[in-house]
Amino acid sequence: MLDRKELDTTSTGLVVDRRQVMAAAAALGLATGLTALPAEAQETPKKGGTLKLGMEGGSASDSLDPRTYADSVAIAYSLMACNCLVEIDDKGNATPELAESWEAKPGATEWVFNIRKGIKFSTGKELDADDVIYSIGLHRGETKSPAKGILEPITEIKKTGSHQITIKLSGGNADLPFVLSDYHLIILPNGYNDFTKTLIGTGAYTLDKFEPGVRIIATRRKDGEYWKKGRGNFDSIELRYILDAAARTQALVTGQVDAVNRLDPKTAELVMKAPTVNVVRSKASGLRYAFVAHRDTAPYTNNDLIMALKYGIDRQKIVDTVFKGFASIGNDHLISPANPYFDAALPQHPYDPDKASFHFKKAGISGPIELQVSEGAFSGATDSAVLYQEALKKAGIALDVKRVSGDGYWSNVWLKSPFCAVYWGSRPTADLQYSQTFLSSAAWNDTNWKRPEFDKIVIAARAELDTAKRKTMYAEAQKMVAEDGGMICFAISDFLDGYSKKVKGVAVHARYDLCDMRIAEKGWFA
Amino acid sequence: MLRLIGTRALLGVATLFAVSVLIFVCTQILPGDVASAVLGNQATPEALAVFRKELGLDQPATVRYFNWFLGAIQGDLGKALTNGRVIIDEIKPRFYNTMFLAGYSALIAVPLSVGLGIIAAIREGRMIDRMSNVLTLMTISVPEFFIGYVLIILFAVNLPWFPSLATVYDEMPISERFYVATLPALTLTMLVAAHMLRMTRTSVLSIMSSPYIEMAFLKGLPRSRVVVRHALPNAAAPIITVIALNLAYLVVGVVVVEAVFTYPGVGQYMVDAVSKRDVPVVQACGLLFAGVFVGLNTLADIAAILVNPRLRHKR
Repeated sequence: MLDRKELDTTSTGLVVDRRQVMAAAAALGLATGLTALPAEAQETPKKGGTLKLGMEGGSASDSLDPRTYADSVAIAYSLMACNCLVEIDDKGNATPELAESWEAKPGATEWVFNIRKGIKFSTGKELDADDVIYSIGLHRGETKSPAKGILEPITEIKKTGSHQITIKLSGGNADLPFVLSDYHLIILPNGYNDFTKTLIGTGAYTLDKFEPGVRIIATRRKDGEYWKKGRGNFDSIELRYILDAAARTQALVTGQVDAVNRLDPKTAELVMKAPTVNVVRSKASGLRYAFVAHRDTAPYTNNDLIMALKYGIDRQKIVDTVFKGFASIGNDHLISPANPYFDAALPQHPYDPDKASFHFKKAGISGPIELQVSEGAFSGATDSAVLYQEALKKAGIALDVKRVSGDGYWSNVWLKSPFCAVYWGSRPTADLQYSQTFLSSAAWNDTNWKRPEFDKIVIAARAELDTAKRKTMYAEAQKMVAEDGGMICFAISDFLDGYSKKVKGVAVHARYDLCDMRIAEKGWFA
Repeated sequence: MLRLIGTRALLGVATLFAVSVLIFVCTQILPGDVASAVLGNQATPEALAVFRKELGLDQPATVRYFNWFLGAIQGDLGKALTNGRVIIDEIKPRFYNTMFLAGYSALIAVPLSVGLGIIAAIREGRMIDRMSNVLTLMTISVPEFFIGYVLIILFAVNLPWFPSLATVYDEMPISERFYVATLPALTLTMLVAAHMLRMTRTSVLSIMSSPYIEMAFLKGLPRSRVVVRHALPNAAAPIITVIALNLAYLVVGVVVVEAVFTYPGVGQYMVDAVSKRDVPVVQACGLLFAGVFVGLNTLADIAAILVNPRLRHKR
């Protein structure tokens, strides 16, 4: 029962507003002020009450150490006590959090971040550049932190003032603020390494009880107002682990909790009808579901076979049947329609049994093709594979669906089986999305698809400051992946949050569910 | 008889030791190792190497077994690999919760099913016999999560008498614990009742055909007195064994019920550990469960010896 949902560094969808980054990258954008409140939040937030959260995405092995965070519950509790340098707003823009402004030198290889002044940790210590350098340093060098990979291009972090740091990169990266919004990169006091009892941070709450797998209790800090105006409104937070989707839904409907994540698509329609419940749906923000074929292994080296496999899948039927319509169809290249770099001009691969049949005959493959699936890959993988099998049958292609154990799936099957099921979380930027999955050098290149031309485009796009040019480059990259790559990405899921109607300040967020996991900070009771 | 009991107890200890070896070996041959399971698809080769070394996975298995076993008998089960928390501190409250739920269920289930079994034996073939048989068979024939959900719909949603979340906490007063754990306890009761009821009824009835029972009837005793005074003591041994087996099930087999009601017991802790390959935690839970199982069965054997009139009285 390995739950790999969101085990990726910075999974889940992100609508990236590139303009702001570009502005910053061009050393123009001094982003100032606080994150805009959600549209609904124009009414003044009220203080008070205990927010009861019921969440999936954690277990008894959860830890407070940011180098271990891998799932929703950990993100939620860390953000009660701590802040990051950069926050992602509802629309997906990188906005200032503990970094009050930033600018890049031309070429985007050197960045200056100004740290907000007068911010206090819950111990009373004031935040300065050393804390930031220490906290980011936790994820660099000899470490098992999942954020190590995305920080790899950083060659040096230098203190250039009591409240200023300068970051040097090995290559230009216009997306650095997005990288620093990663949930592992919470800011802790310099030298803090006791993660057994609580977390010391600059957040709105302090963690009073940490019982992993059972509950987490946080109370609002007593030492003055939270530094973000209108945020941190609850007196206390009680986060309960409710791993069973039915139990979670039940708890919300019967009012035992005020908010839950990951509503079951199968029952979401019914929950929406409950008079006390408000369901927030973030379209195509969730997980990318795919079948991946190793392009360097026969018979998947054959282009026509790959085309046959892409035309032979009835995406809409899988979305409607397996995900009850709470997902969007994918076009085999991982970039969500919500991403500004999504190329709408690229034709969607339709379900076309005739074309599939044509390509399959041209490929001249004999014998059935084996697809390894498991519910351990993602919930619904087996059903999707069976529907795929049916759809391929109409094109005269025999698909053998082999069910394998979910236990050890990620170490025994994924990356090893030449054709298997996988999910990918969305990365905050198009660059990360592609760098981690499709570059020849990527450790998790699960299609073994290695194309030097593609590598060149992605690396050039990373440092490209001109949005229009960048857009053409990513369009080219998408086309290459969609037409030549071994990934059949058939669906991108929606996030479904459930709230009690008395919880205000909730909105669709571009990145994670539950208001980017900041519901404790952003919400309030009517 | 004392020797008999002593042998049983020793046998229990030996079983436990054998089980500890078995647990250790089995956790070693699980597919994948903790490092890759914890890191998931973040598992780059360097990260894996660092993590494995940190966990001591580079030492030989025999060394690790003896380190573990010697620690375990001193109450030191080590630290969880995944989050570095002391296992014994984590497991204690959960074990208490598990025992609480098992005890609560047993408190309802044992008197209910043994009582009903005896009544069914006394009134063999009558309405109450048939009814209790059919009802308990029905509840044992459906999966436990289904019973759980039905109870939630009836008694948490339609009639809001009990909470659907049965999460109990340290600081909860005992009365509230009983209140919130009612639905899971009822679910478990329904699961174990049939087995005990039928075993009680059958073993009492099988004794009923013995000559000495016929004698008792001929003396003119009423049926109820014959059953309770004459048949039951001789029928007790199999009943006790079945009760022990069911009690053990209430402790070690309730993970699904825990999940349905979000009850913080050892079962969920163990499942989490298994999926993350947190070997020390799996071993600790396994050892605990084995201890409960072996302990209860040994106790049942000893109790069966004690209640057996032929073994109790020296010849």
